[in-house]
Parts: sequence; structure tokens; C-alpha cells
Amino acid sequence: MPTKNCAWLRPIFFACLSLVVALPAAAQQQPPIRIGQTLSLTGPFAQTGLAHQIASEIFVERLNKSGGLLGRQVEYVVLDDQSKPDISRTLYEKLVTADKVDLILGPYGTAAILAAMTVAQRYHKVFVENTLGQPGLATYEWHFSATIGGADSTSTLPGKVLDAFNSTPHPPQNVLIVSSKFPSAQDMAHGMQRAADARNLKVLGFLEYEAGTRDYGTIAARIKDANPDFMFVACLGVEGSQILEALNKIGYKPTRHFYLYPSGLMAADPLADHATSYSGFEDVAPYTSTKEGGEFAAEYNARALKAGLPYPHVDSQAGNEYSGWQILVAGVKATNSLDDGKIAAWLDKNSVETIEGKRDFSGRSHTSASDTQQLKQAQNGKWVAIWPPEARTPGASLIAP
Amino acid sequence: MSVKASPGMGAALLAVVALAAVPATNIPPYYLAFLYLIFFWIAMATSWNILSGYAGYWSFGHAAFFGTGVYTSATLATKFGVPFLLTLPVAACVAALLGSAIGFVVFRLQRLRGELFALITISMTFVVATIISNTPIDGGSGVYLISVPLPEAFGSQNGTIYLLGLFMATLTIGTAWWVFRSKMGLGLFAIHDDEDVAEVKGVPTFRYKIAAFALSSGIAGAAGGVYSIYVSYVTVGETFEVTVIMYPVVMSIFGGSRHWLGPAFGAVIVTTALYGFAAGPQASLVRGGVALGLIVVVLLLPDGVMPSLQRWWRILLPGLAPRQVLPELLVPTPRATGAVLAQIAPPLLQCRDVTKTFGGVRALKGITLDVRPGEILGLVGPNGSGKSTLINVITGHFQLNAGSVTFDGTSIEGMPAHRVARLGIARSYQIPRPFNRLTVLGNVALAASFGGGVGEAEAERLASYWLTYTGLAKKAFDYPVQLNLHERKFLELARGLAARPRILLLDEVLSGLNNTEIDEALGLMRDIRDRGTTIIFVEHLMRAVVALSDRVAVLNNGALIAVGTPEETMRNPEVVSVYLGKAHAS
Repeated sequence: MPTKNCAWLRPIFFACLSLVVALPAAAQQQPPIRIGQTLSLTGPFAQTGLAHQIASEIFVERLNKSGGLLGRQVEYVVLDDQSKPDISRTLYEKLVTADKVDLILGPYGTAAILAAMTVAQRYHKVFVENTLGQPGLATYEWHFSATIGGADSTSTLPGKVLDAFNSTPHPPQNVLIVSSKFPSAQDMAHGMQRAADARNLKVLGFLEYEAGTRDYGTIAARIKDANPDFMFVACLGVEGSQILEALNKIGYKPTRHFYLYPSGLMAADPLADHATSYSGFEDVAPYTSTKEGGEFAAEYNARALKAGLPYPHVDSQAGNEYSGWQILVAGVKATNSLDDGKIAAWLDKNSVETIEGKRDFSGRSHTSASDTQQLKQAQNGKWVAIWPPEARTPGASLIAP
Repeated sequence: MSVKASPGMGAALLAVVALAAVPATNIPPYYLAFLYLIFFWIAMATSWNILSGYAGYWSFGHAAFFGTGVYTSATLATKFGVPFLLTLPVAACVAALLGSAIGFVVFRLQRLRGELFALITISMTFVVATIISNTPIDGGSGVYLISVPLPEAFGSQNGTIYLLGLFMATLTIGTAWWVFRSKMGLGLFAIHDDEDVAEVKGVPTFRYKIAAFALSSGIAGAAGGVYSIYVSYVTVGETFEVTVIMYPVVMSIFGGSRHWLGPAFGAVIVTTALYGFAAGPQASLVRGGVALGLIVVVLLLPDGVMPSLQRWWRILLPGLAPRQVLPELLVPTPRATGAVLAQIAPPLLQCRDVTKTFGGVRALKGITLDVRPGEILGLVGPNGSGKSTLINVITGHFQLNAGSVTFDGTSIEGMPAHRVARLGIARSYQIPRPFNRLTVLGNVALAASFGGGVGEAEAERLASYWLTYTGLAKKAFDYPVQLNLHERKFLELARGLAARPRILLLDEVLSGLNNTEIDEALGLMRDIRDRGTTIIFVEHLMRAVVALSDRVAVLNNGALIAVGTPEETMRNPEVVSVYLGKAHAS
């Protein structure tokens, strides 16, 4: 009987069948790749830290849905550094030596990044960060920056800003520089002074205030007295809005003004109409025009709203974080390895396509060779891209009366 | 202070040795980093407590000294290439000098106590931060120490930082223990309770406060130096942030600021709770729990956890608790032996044209008065006549505006009160002012130690004697709040006597006592005089004045209007007029 003749095939058939079933199961049972990071989930930078966390979670979920990394799922380990560099440094020690994560990503903020970088250097971990305000201080050879300002943004960004305003019908004839005494802000303010001097733009004054100040009355009075054509404010978070509030109280409204690292919420502030800032990713075209950019923005907005963020729109902070993940994962995929040295060696010689554009690391301290920052402006309660002209949000342009 | 080996010290030494060996094990370096943070906060909280907990001068300027240390080490290591370990003693010295300089100015002004001192110290934090931020020391960009070489212990820099942290914590706890057990510690506790009385009892308050401030700030400076290499990137914003100011305060209150180990206990608990939980929803819960725990401790254990544990230990395990036994009595040796014939000896105390004004009010108008050795001089007068002011001037509590005061040939005007006390002038207060958080024995021993100039053991034995003498022996281990008025008055007397005074000034020691208690007190005073101590006593009770005094001096409106035997004085028309009105005088 034919059935009898095929009986010997039965065990082979079941053996093959079980192999087919078992192999993916075995792959699924492999432990996940653990990637660790600290973020400022409490403390003064908590709001920004939460934005970074949301971006990271979205990236990891998308990555796992698309099959994970090296055939394994990715587990995101995030610890709260309480916005304190010493805790960040301690927790990176924990991530590397106690939790034994496979890879790490940098925390949020210059001070925390530099503190954490010492740990990465000690244990020879590749270190991709996305918010280092002073890239020149990053001397670790396996450091890679996902920031978009390049190695010398203190020179290039002020130049871009002045280029943008000089392109308008009424270029400013003078500038007033206002700066927080925060390291990265101060560096940028001095960069603006150099750029103004180089272009023979009259600097009406260089006003400084202590980081964390709440009373901007004196600063506002001096701004009003100076009545500058252009006001460059090297500030962080809500400081810019507080300065505008103080100016409004004494009946002054700046016409052309720039804010370095403002809270995303600033766009919704009527006093901040026509305020400008740097940009890498916003909740408008052209950033959301790509498939990944659009999906990321939509998912981010939904989660930010659910999390109660005051500005539930994707912005450069979230975009930077997402780009950082893209860079690290690109290194892993390209080398097919979790070996930090191999990943670093690959990143050293290659570039990575991110939602904020292409990143190479040929600049000093493994930053991008060029500054790809763009400029945005608050218009009708929302940020829109206005510079360079080829990257403007459709229908938008720089308004500089 | 004598230091004897004890099982506790042996256990502490073993613990330190065991902790020092931790880096040699295979423990993940994270735990070394975490332990370092605990050591760091132990050093910060315990050093803060040496001044603020012991002496009660709440400083919110610890961040200034910490930051001074941070930037001293960072600057020397990065800009001048000084080997990092050598920067640490320099950081300690610079911070200690800064603390001493601030103290030298602030501690001279009596009005700068309490909240004003706290305000000044918090201002210092901002001043130091502003200077560092606006000079090349930082300049606003921060200082990065990643390239600073550090010797490796047990094969890693982590090991070195851990050992430096352990060394700092051990050194700080050791220093706090030493101060706690020393004469200086006793003086600081007295300053905490009542600084003016402490000075009058012989405590060199200014010197002790400066020393405590220097120790406190110097340790914070050294801890800051180590911290700079730990965090590797220092900025003004992070270095002088509010947590550096507040955490030592919180930890000390939690653990118990009156105990040498209290702040360390608080540091371990608070640091573990704050830094040990960094992931998940429990992190915020634990931090909330710490805040709640602090509220509970403040409400239920106002002295903090450590002193409460000690108290419970004594209650629950009385057999194991140290026994409270009154030290063996030591019969005092008077500085002047036997009563001297008052009429023929030169004056012991001479006041010449003593004038004291308060603003436009002349409280003393050129008082000239001699006090003879071995006599009892009654000082009387209506309220506001200047009696207490004269006592305050003689004891150095008030500086006079004109005139002179000479004690046994030595001019004492302008002399600090503690030096006056050490010459042999002691006083009691009209309203008893004991050191409320020292035991009755401690109160008297302090006076014996500082005013009498004897060692710790001898001071306690003398205190035993005087407590027995005044009938307070059974209350030796009670606290002053547990005494009634009579006992508190006698405590004042015992404190005065324990200083082995040559002259004892008693300010209305009989007021508020009943007749039996007054008779008892009069008997004691006669006996004290018979032992060789001259007495000036201020009193309103004329029965006692007449019965006890060899001579009586009468003040009115800041002027001396009569002096002589009680009988002579009581017949003086001006005295009669002052006490009974002009009609009776005529």
C-alpha cells in the first residue's frame, strides 16, 4: 500500500515540522537587547525629559514591531536622573555595571551628558547623545552627537539668524543681546556678538541674568530703553516667555526677536507672535512630510496630549531624541553587532539618515560636519519653518516688520 | 577629653576597614558610586551639624563652602595642573578660611543670630556663586575635569573616589564625635541653649563658633573637591543649587541634630530613598515617603531619630543602657581660703565712676563702690534702679561707657565675659536661665569646667558635690524643665558655686521662695561666705538683706545713694524716702 510505503517519511515530516515551529520560537525566547538611558523625569527639566521619553518609547515600539534588532526585541531601560548630573553619572554606572544593559544612549542636558560621558569612557561604551550644548567639551573618542548644530554652532547659528533677517525688506541695523548665565546659552550669546561685530551690526548691549531668575523687570526696562531693531535672547525653557511678559507689562513689544531654546509652548503665547528660534523638527511640513516623520509626529502628539504635556506637539527635542536612536540602531544594524567598538568604528566613517536629515560625524568631537539647523517662527499660535527658504513650511515666510 | 578604647570604637574601626575593602571585591562599580554618594552626604550633613546642630547657628551657606571646594579643586587641577589629591587639602583650607572670615565679622555682632544669621549665610551662597560665575574661575561655561588624572585604587578611579568618600565620611563623623565629646562640644551646646549665659559661665563663645564654622566649612570644601572629580563637569547652577543647601538640613533634622551620629543616620536614609530608587512609579512614591517621614519625625520626634532611639533603648533595655550614677563627690578647693577680715583687707572689687547708657537712658550714673573680700554686700533699690545692670557690667555681659572696674587689682572693663568668669566672678540670674537641653548635672559641670577651669572628670565630681550641697543630687540626670522654681533657683546657685568663684553675684535668688526655702537659702549663703566666697546679692526682701548683709549698697535711678551697715543704711533719710516716700523720711 502506498501508505505503507510512505510510512518512513512520517517521522522526517514531523521532525521538519517541529523544527519550523521551534526555530522562530527559539528566536523569540532570546533575551531582548537592553538599551539604557537616564532622563530628567523629575526636577526642573522634567517636562523636556518627558518629551524625550515619549520619543524613545515610540521609536522602540516601532523598532520592535518591525522585527526588533538583530532578530531580538529591544527593551528600553529608562532611569530618572532627577535633572541632576551627579545622579545621572551614578545611574549610568548602574546601567552599565549592575543592570548590564547592552547599549546606552546619552541623557538630556549638557551637564548630565558630560557627567555620563565619563562613565561611557570608563567602560568603553559607544555614546550617542542628542542635546550637548557645548560639543567642544566632548573629548571621548566614541562620542557621537545627534545634534544638528555641528561642532561650532555658536558661530554658525548666529550667522544663519542674521542671514535670515537680512533677507527681509528691513534688515536690522542693530542688535541687543540678552543671555541667561547658563553655559550653553552664554556661549551662543557670545557667538552672536562675534557675528554682529563681523557684520558691522551695532550691538546696543549685552544683558545677562542669572539662570532661574523669575523677575525680569530690570532686564525688560533696559530692553525697552534700547529699543533694538533685533533682540537675540539666549534663554532656556520658559525664560523667553517670562521676558516677553515683563516687556508687555511696561508696554513694549519687540518686532524682531530670537529665542535660543524656548519651550514649545511659546508658539501658543500671543505675546510671542513672530518670535523666532532654531529648529530641527516641528509639527509641520516639511518635517512631517516623510512617512516616518509624519507617523512619528502623529503618534507623539497623541501621547503628549495623553501625558498632559502643555505643548502637545512634536518639536526639536523629540526629533533629536528620535534621531539619536536612529543613529545607534543604524550602527548596530550595519555592524550586525552589539560591540561598542565596532559600532563606533562604523559611525566614525559613515553617515545616518534621520528624521532630521542626514548625520555624519566628521566634525570635531564627532559632530556633524555642517550646521543643519533651520529657523522657525511663531505664527498664529504655531511654529512654522521659515529658513532656509527651500525648507519653509508651505505658504510660510519670515515675518519681520 | 580622654579617649579610651571601647567595644563601640572597635566595631566602628572594623566597619571602616570592611568598607575600605569593598572595592577589592567583585561588586559592580555602580554600588561603589552609590556608596560614594552616601559618604558624600554623610560628610555634608555631619559637617553642617557641627556648627548648626551643635551651636544652633543655622547656616544656609553650606553650598558656598562646598562650591568653594568644588571650584578650588577644579581650577587647580585643570588650569594649574596640580595633582588632584593635592588640591583637596587646599580646597578644605580655602573653604575654612572663607568660613572663618565670614564668622569673624558675623559672630561679633550679637544681633546676627537666628534668622538673620541664616539670611546672611544664604546670601553668601549667592555672592560666592556670582563671583565664580562672573570671573575666569568659571566664566559661565563650567569646568570639565575629564582629562584630570586620578590615581587608581583597586584598579579603577571608581575605587579611588569611593575611598576618598569613605575617608571624608569617616573623618567627618570622627570630628563630629570628637567635638561632641569635648569641652568645645559642651560649650557649643550651651551656646545653642543660651549664648549670653554660656559666655558669662566662661564659655569662649566667639572662639568656639569660629572654630566650629571653620571645621564645618573646611570639611564641606574638601567634600566639594572630591565631588568635582566624581561629577567631572561642574557648573555654577548645579554646584550652588538649592538641594545642596537644603539636604544637609533635612538629613540632620531627620537623624537628630543634637547627636553626633544623627546627621549620618539621616544621610543614609534620605540618600538611599532619594537616589536608590530611580526607575518606575515607586521612585516618586519613595521620595514622597521621605517627605512624609520628615514631617512625621518633626511632629513626633522633634529631636530626630537617633536621640529617640537612644531614649527607647534606655527604656526597653535598661540593663544594657549606661547607668546614670552620680560621680564620686569632690570637695572643692576654694580659690581664696577662709573668710578674710573684711575691714582690713584691700577691696576685692572696685567700681569707679561706672557709667552705662542705653541710647539716651543712663542706667548707671557714675557708680563708685568697693567690695571687700569675704563680705556679703546687699545691693538694693527699687525696680529700674540699676542693680541688674551693675551686675551685668561687672560680669562683662554689658560693656560700660565710662569708668572702671577692677577685680583683685586687674582691670576687667572691656574684658569678654568668659574671661571675667575665669578670674573668679560668677553670677546667678533673677529668672533662672539654665541650659535646658543639658541635664542638671551637665549644667553644673559646665560651669565648673569653664568657669572653674577644671577637667571633664573633675568638673563632674565637683558638680556632684555642689548638687549634693544644694539638695539637687536626686535630680542630677533630670532636665531643668523638670525642676520647680525652688530647684531651679538652687540650680542657679549650684552653677555659680561650681565655678569656684571668689565673688558670687546673686540676682534675687530668694524671690518666689516660701519662708522655709528662704531660711534654707540664707543658711547656704552664710556657709558659702564662710568658705571664703565674697557675695553680692541683689534682693528686694529686706528681712533677708538685714539678716545676711555685712554692708548694704542702695541704688536709685542709676546712682548709688547709700552704702554702709544694714542699720546705718536703713536709717538713711534718702533711702527711707526712696522706699517709703518723703513724708516718712522727714
